[in-house]
Amino acid sequence: MINDQTGMRQLTTLDGNGVLLHGTYHKPKSVATDGTPIPTKTIGVMFMNALSSPRSLVGDSGAYWATCFADRGYPSFRFDLPGLGDSYGEIPNDLLRFTNEGGYASVASSKAGELVERHRLSGVVMFGHCAGATTAIYAASNCSYCKGLVLMDPYFNLPKALTATLRPGLVLWARRSKVGAMVRTTYDRVRELPSAIRKGALPTNANFSLISRFKQVVSRGVPLLIFKAHQPAGSGTVTAGFDYLAYISSCAARTNHFSIRTIEDTDHSFANRAGRLAVRQHTETWLSEYFPEEAAASAPLLPGQDAQVHAPLTLGTPLITRISPGD
Amino acid sequence: MNASLYAGGHAYNIFAERPGFFPVSGADLYTVLHEVKDPVARVLLVGPFTLERHTSYRAWVQWARYLAARRIEVLRYDYRGVGESTGIFEDMTFESWIDDVERLAGWLRKRGEDVPLLLHGLEMGGLLAAKTFHHGGSDALLLWSAPGDANEVLRSTLQRWMGPMQLLKREEERRPASHYFRLLEEGRSVEVQGYEWSAELWRQSLSVDLPAAMVPPNDPTKFYKKPVRMVKLGKNATPLVKGGVPGFEENKDFSFLFDPNYDWIVSSLGVPAERS
Repeated sequence: MINDQTGMRQLTTLDGNGVLLHGTYHKPKSVATDGTPIPTKTIGVMFMNALSSPRSLVGDSGAYWATCFADRGYPSFRFDLPGLGDSYGEIPNDLLRFTNEGGYASVASSKAGELVERHRLSGVVMFGHCAGATTAIYAASNCSYCKGLVLMDPYFNLPKALTATLRPGLVLWARRSKVGAMVRTTYDRVRELPSAIRKGALPTNANFSLISRFKQVVSRGVPLLIFKAHQPAGSGTVTAGFDYLAYISSCAARTNHFSIRTIEDTDHSFANRAGRLAVRQHTETWLSEYFPEEAAASAPLLPGQDAQVHAPLTLGTPLITRISPGD
Repeated sequence: MNASLYAGGHAYNIFAERPGFFPVSGADLYTVLHEVKDPVARVLLVGPFTLERHTSYRAWVQWARYLAARRIEVLRYDYRGVGESTGIFEDMTFESWIDDVERLAGWLRKRGEDVPLLLHGLEMGGLLAAKTFHHGGSDALLLWSAPGDANEVLRSTLQRWMGPMQLLKREEERRPASHYFRLLEEGRSVEVQGYEWSAELWRQSLSVDLPAAMVPPNDPTKFYKKPVRMVKLGKNATPLVKGGVPGFEENKDFSFLFDPNYDWIVSSLGVPAERS
């Protein structure tokens, strides 16, 4: 009575190298409808957990995007990393620090290799949000199977500079309360002051290891698509911080491989209607630009012709949007 | 790979976790069966609502593994339209969610050996489990932080979501929670962190409440003549309850909560306890 498949989704595991991961495979249309296997030289999309989020991501946006990308011909995979979601494993008490230090990188890159071999893919695009972006960068720097990166609100600073010397209770207060947030912001600004004076140098709380890895990826010419949630002036979150993306993009081997999109009317999760749709549309366009074989094999858009796409939000909310080729 | 790992000092087989899709009318529910050989009891875990599912996931899974390691077979699942389950969230009704609990409980009960079945609900899941239990769907009931009615959960969820959202808006665009409550009461839908809440869901939530026999000072155990335990979780139970800090509490030791609840399950069901 219980099946491992529904529609285009199949539950699956990766168990190589002694690490068992549970996940969901979103099959491209060609596989789901007529049973034919994925053609060789197809790129897959591999999602990362965002910190402790289960693989569906906030508001189930991960499930939504994976469904959409598979529908456009890109097999998509959402696995829970060890200790997260449905995958067994121990995690450290300070998961954020562990992630910021690249704790999940080796397992993510080895699982990317497993996916490529099992599904005969030409490689994977790693898709990460927030701390998931951190894992994706670390993994990509050490993984020849990674052919592209989609990063949502990546961060390159170490937000836990306060925690080394403070009691856990005080740290929790600083993270939870509004007054605590103000104290943290002030603290961060004071710490960044010397760097601001030494123009161009990285702030002292920069995640140097991550930035170094990111530079490696960028210098390899791996195509990058980065989403930033717009922070309106006058909101409580805008800080005049160091522009890490500008700093890193200056290292890009091919600057046309480095795209940054700022999304309006969304928040850090990108889980609302506007955020989901914008991420979906930009990513689909980007995928078809850099990995065109799969898009051409699924549902081509003729030049000068718009397509009406029924985009189910939360896997269902009907919404009609217009996508143009080369949008 | 070593199949037998340890969960709280008990052997645990990670390969006995069976994810699957359970078909119901118009959707497929994502389920994970923590299969046990010769179980002494079975438990259906009915988890919390949307945002809380997300933050409490690991702790909830830890509880499932804790029980399975002690020969209690566990089935956990995602609500229709949420997480890995299919279905359109904005079309969901409490009726369909309660129906899902009843179907899953029925399926679990018929899985082999005739052993007691317990329903365990957390937060909104407590209400759904309580409704099913009330209609005779299980031999015992365990509730963690079940609200008086479903509207309480919707209100607190919306308020919790709004806090960080306000920081992202200009001062003139910020709205109090009452603004969104009014929109729902006026028949409009509101999007809460990716989930489209319909006015109908809001309306229904007002009438989905705990059965009267479970409302203090009534004694549900006396009324149902079956074991019932209702626990109000404190702040020390984050992130199982609202208020957790992502990335900082996922690895919490929940033995202070798991041990006494496990003791209650085995003693009230009259089944042998597994000691490490």
